[in-house]
Amino acid sequence: MTVAKPLPHDAAARHVDGSARYVDDIPVPAGTLHLCFGCARISRGRVTAVDLGPVRAAEGVIAVLTADDLPFDNDVAPVAHDEPLLSDGTVHYAGQPLFLVVAESHLQARRAARRAEISYEEETPILTVEQALAADSRFEEGPRVYGRGDVEAALATAPLVTEGEIEIGGQEHFYLEGQAALALPQEGGDMIVHASSQHPTEIQHKVADALGLPMHAVRVEVRRMGGGFGGKESQGNALAVACAVAARATGRPCKMRYDRDDDFTITGKRHPFVIRYRAGHDAEGRLLAVDFRQFAVCGWSQDLSLAVADRAMLHADNAYWIPTVRIESHRLKTNHQSHTAFRGFGGPQGMVGIERVLDHVAHRVGRDPAEVRRLNYYAEAEEGALSAPLGGSAASPPEDISAKKKDLQERRVTPYGQVVEDFILGGMTERLLETSGYHVRRARVAEWNARNEVIKRGLAFTPVKFGISFTLTHLNQAGALVHVYQDGSVALNHGGTEMGQGLFQKVAQVAAQVFGLPMAAVRITATDTAKVPNTSATAASSGSDLNGMAVRLACEEIAGRMAAFLAERHQAKPTEVRFRESRVEVGAESYSFAEAAKACWMGRVSLSATGYYRTPDISWDRIRGEGRPFFYFAYGAVVSEVAVDTLTGEYRILRADILHDAGSSLNPAIDRGQVEGGYVQGAGWLTTEELVWDDAGRLRTHAPSTYKIPAASDAPEVFEVNFWQAENRAETIHRSKAVGEPPLMLGISVLMALSDAVAACGPGYPALDAPATPERVLAAIRRVRGAA
Amino acid sequence: MYAFDFVRPKSLNEAVEALQPEEAMALGGGQTLIPTLKQRLASPSKLVSLKGVEEIRGICRDDQGRVCIGGGTTHAEVAAGVPEYPALAALAANIGDPAVRNRGTIGGSLANNDPSACYPAAALASGATIVTNTREIAADDYFEGMFMTALEEGEIITEVRFPVPQAANYQKFEQPASRFALVGVFVAKFEDGVRVAVTGASEEGVFRWTEAEEALSSNFSPDAVQGLSVPAEGMIGDLHGSPEYRAHLVGVMTRRAVAAAG
Repeated sequence: MTVAKPLPHDAAARHVDGSARYVDDIPVPAGTLHLCFGCARISRGRVTAVDLGPVRAAEGVIAVLTADDLPFDNDVAPVAHDEPLLSDGTVHYAGQPLFLVVAESHLQARRAARRAEISYEEETPILTVEQALAADSRFEEGPRVYGRGDVEAALATAPLVTEGEIEIGGQEHFYLEGQAALALPQEGGDMIVHASSQHPTEIQHKVADALGLPMHAVRVEVRRMGGGFGGKESQGNALAVACAVAARATGRPCKMRYDRDDDFTITGKRHPFVIRYRAGHDAEGRLLAVDFRQFAVCGWSQDLSLAVADRAMLHADNAYWIPTVRIESHRLKTNHQSHTAFRGFGGPQGMVGIERVLDHVAHRVGRDPAEVRRLNYYAEAEEGALSAPLGGSAASPPEDISAKKKDLQERRVTPYGQVVEDFILGGMTERLLETSGYHVRRARVAEWNARNEVIKRGLAFTPVKFGISFTLTHLNQAGALVHVYQDGSVALNHGGTEMGQGLFQKVAQVAAQVFGLPMAAVRITATDTAKVPNTSATAASSGSDLNGMAVRLACEEIAGRMAAFLAERHQAKPTEVRFRESRVEVGAESYSFAEAAKACWMGRVSLSATGYYRTPDISWDRIRGEGRPFFYFAYGAVVSEVAVDTLTGEYRILRADILHDAGSSLNPAIDRGQVEGGYVQGAGWLTTEELVWDDAGRLRTHAPSTYKIPAASDAPEVFEVNFWQAENRAETIHRSKAVGEPPLMLGISVLMALSDAVAACGPGYPALDAPATPERVLAAIRRVRGAA
Repeated sequence: MYAFDFVRPKSLNEAVEALQPEEAMALGGGQTLIPTLKQRLASPSKLVSLKGVEEIRGICRDDQGRVCIGGGTTHAEVAAGVPEYPALAALAANIGDPAVRNRGTIGGSLANNDPSACYPAAALASGATIVTNTREIAADDYFEGMFMTALEEGEIITEVRFPVPQAANYQKFEQPASRFALVGVFVAKFEDGVRVAVTGASEEGVFRWTEAEEALSSNFSPDAVQGLSVPAEGMIGDLHGSPEYRAHLVGVMTRRAVAAAG
C-alpha cells in the first residue's frame, strides 16, 4: 500500500536545500525583459493628465504600454469582464495598474515606473459598509437571501432574542513566493507562459484573449507555487497577460514579479465582513430562529466575490440545525483591491458569524458554550448504511418511532435544503472533550480566573463542518494523462497545481498504488495546459478528490490493458492479473513491472491513457439557494486555551487539541501539516493580522514590518493533532476527505477562547471584533467591566 | 536612493573633517539611515561611515563607576559587555533582530532619536552623559523632540556614560510586526531618586514621567504608581495603536518595570 502512508512531500528535500524551482528561478533566455506596473495613487477618480516621458527616458526602458497600446482584450477578470489590465482612465483603487513598464532589468523597470507624472481628478471613495449601502454600490441587483420559514414570526415568539454585530477583518495571503510570470514568445505568434498560478487554464484563456489567439496557441506551465491560499486563483492573470502582451510587442521573453509591497498593494485579499445577527432561543440556548445579515466588502471588481459570498451564506449554519433561518447577503462594491479567494472562500466568515451567535447565546443563558453548541447540532448520522432504520428504543410504540424518525430527518436539513447525511460531530465532540480534558480544564480555568486578577484564562470548543465541492457545479471535473514507458517508469500529469499542499505526492501515491510500484517509479510532472485541457482551479479543497480520481481512472485503464494482454498470453483471466511489489503476476508467471511494460509495448498495447472524473450527485441553484451543492462535508473539532493579560490586552495561545476528519487519509503526514498550518493561519487571521486602509483608501499595512502573520513561535506550545479514523461515507478517492480549507476554521476557537477569557473580567458580553488585537481585547475588557 | 559620495575615515579627526560640508551625514550602523535613504527621505551629498573609527568603539568604566560605551559600539557588543548594568544589557539584547544588533550602534540610535527607539529611554532614565567630539551633554538637555537632538551639524557622539543605578528595568510593548516599541519604559532607581523615561509613546519623542518619578522616589513599588496615568493628548496615534492605548500602556509598562527591577 502506498496510499495512506505518511510519506514526505515529493519536493520536501528540494524545498529545504533550495533546489525547488519557482518561476523566478527558471533560467531565462538572453534578452529577457522585465516588467513593472505603474500604479494609481488615489483610490477613486479619473486620470486627467499623464506624462510618461520621464518613464520612457529612464535607463533601460524598452517600452511603456498603456491601455491604448493593448492589441486585443484589455481584461484580466476571472468571471465578469470588469477588470481591465490597465486602467482606461478611471481609477477604482489605490494601487490599480495604469501603465506597464518594460525594461532590461527588474530594478530598472521599478525605478522607471516611479517617474511618471500623473494628475487626477479625485472623487470621494467608498470605503465602508455604510458608505457602500448609502450609495447602493453593490454587485448583483440586490441582496441574495437564502433560508426557510418565517423568521420574524419565530423571533417574535422566541423566549429570548440575542442580537449583535461582528466586524471581521480581511487577510493578506502572504504566500512566501510572490506573484510571478514569465512569457516566452514562440514561432507563429504562439506563447508559452510559466506562471505562479492555481489556475493555468484561466491564465491560458486570458492570455489567448489578450493576444487575439485561440487557446491552442497558448501553453501554460506551472511546476509549483510557493504558497497560494486562493491568492493565485485569479490574481496572477494580470502578470501573465502583461508578460504575454509585452512579449508579443517586443518579440522577447518577458518576466514579471511583484515586490512584496506591490503584491500587497495591487492584489485582493480575504473579504472583510460585517455580520449582524438576531437569534431567537430558549433558556437552554436552543436556537429557534436566526436572522443574519452579511455584508461582504468586495473591492472594486467582481472577481470571485459572488461565489465567495454564496459560500459564506452556505456556512452560516456551520454544524447547527436552525429551524427557522434567514440569511441576507450584500456584496458591496468599494474602492479597495478586488477581494478574492482565500482558503475557505467565504466559509470562514459565515462560520465566524454563527459561532459568534452561539458564544453570545451561551453567555446570555449562562451555560457552557460547548454544551450549547452540542445542543444545537445537526442529527448524527446513523452507524453503517444510510438506509438502515433509524434508532429508537424497541419498546417505543411504532408511531413514536416514526415521529422520532421524522424529527431526526428534519434535523438533518440545511437552510439550503441539502440533507446532512454524514454528520459525525456528535461522536467527534464527545471524543475530543474527553481527550482534551475539557470539563476538568473548564473547572480549572474558572478556579484560576477566581484567583487571578491580572491574567485571565479562556477555553473554547468549536466545531467545523465544511462543504466539499465547488458551488459552481460545472467546475467539479478533472482530467489526467498517464504514460507508462517501456522501462516500467510512469509519468503522470493532471490538472491540479502544487502549491506546497502535497497534492502531487498524494496523487503519485494513488498512481503507485494502482501499479503496485514504489514511489521512485512514478514521476509527477508540471501542470501543463497542453497535457490536460480545460482544468478547474486548484481550489475548494478539491485537488486530491478530483485529480486523484482522474489519475486513478487513467492508471486503471492502462493496468487493464496490460492485464488483458498478459492474461491472453497465459490463458488466464484479466481479473487474475495482480500488480504488486513492482511485479505483475499472471497465474504462476511473474514479471517485473518493467518486463511487463516492455512485453506490452512489443505486443503493441497502448501504454498511455487519459482519465476523467466528475463529481456525482451534485446540483445547485444559487439564485433560489436550493439543492445539493456539496458532495459531502469535512469535519473538525478543536479546544483552544488562551491566557490574556488584562492590563494590556496581550494574549497567548497556551494549548490546542484538534480532532480532524480527513476520512481515510491518503497521507497522514501531509494532512497533519495542512491541519496545523490551517489552524495557525486561521488564528492569525482573527488575532494579529490587521489590514489598515487610511481614509483616502490607501493600504497602510503592506509589508511584514506592519502586517503580522503568525510565526512558528506563535503556534501553541501544546499542539495535539489527531485524526478521526473513519472512512468518508461518500465514494471519494480511497475514501479520503478534502483537507485544504477546513482546518483554517479551527482557528475560530482562538477568537472564542479570547472571548471566554474577557468574559471572566466582568458581567458584560465581550462582543470581540476580529482581528482581536491587544487594543481591541483591552477595549472589550473595559466594556464587560463597564456593564457591571 | 539618491547618489552620494562615501568615505570611511580611520580616525575621529578625519571623520570630523569629512563631515564639514553641510550636506554630509555620519553613518553609524545604517539601520535607520539606509532605509531612510532608500525611501528618498534624505539626500546627503556624502556619507561618512564611522565603522572604521576604532577610537569610538568599545566599553570601559570611569573613576565614578560609570559604564562608558563608545558611540560606535554595536547593540550586540553592549548586550554582551555591560554585566554590571543588566537592564541596559537586556535592552540592547532585545533591539530588533540579530542583524540589526550586529550593525546598529548606540551612537547612531541616540543621534537619530527615533520616537520608537529603545536607547533614548535608557540614556534619559539613567541620566547618562552624551559625549561628543566637542563637548559633554547631559541626557536631560540632549533630547529635543522626535528626531531632534542637541547635536550640532557635524557633531559626532564619541561616548555615552551611564551611571549604574541600584535597580533598573526596561519594559517594551512591542508592535508585533516590526518589534519596535509601541511603548517602552525604562525605570532606574538611584540613591537620590528614581528616574522614569518613556519611549515610543509621545509625539515629542522620549520623555521623563516626572509624576511617576516622584511617587516612586518615596516608595519604589508598583503600587506607588497604581493610580497615575499620562494624558492621551500628545501621544502618538497610528495604525498600530491609538493615543489612549499608548497612554494606558505607559502606566502598565512602568508598573511592570518597577516590579521587575525589584
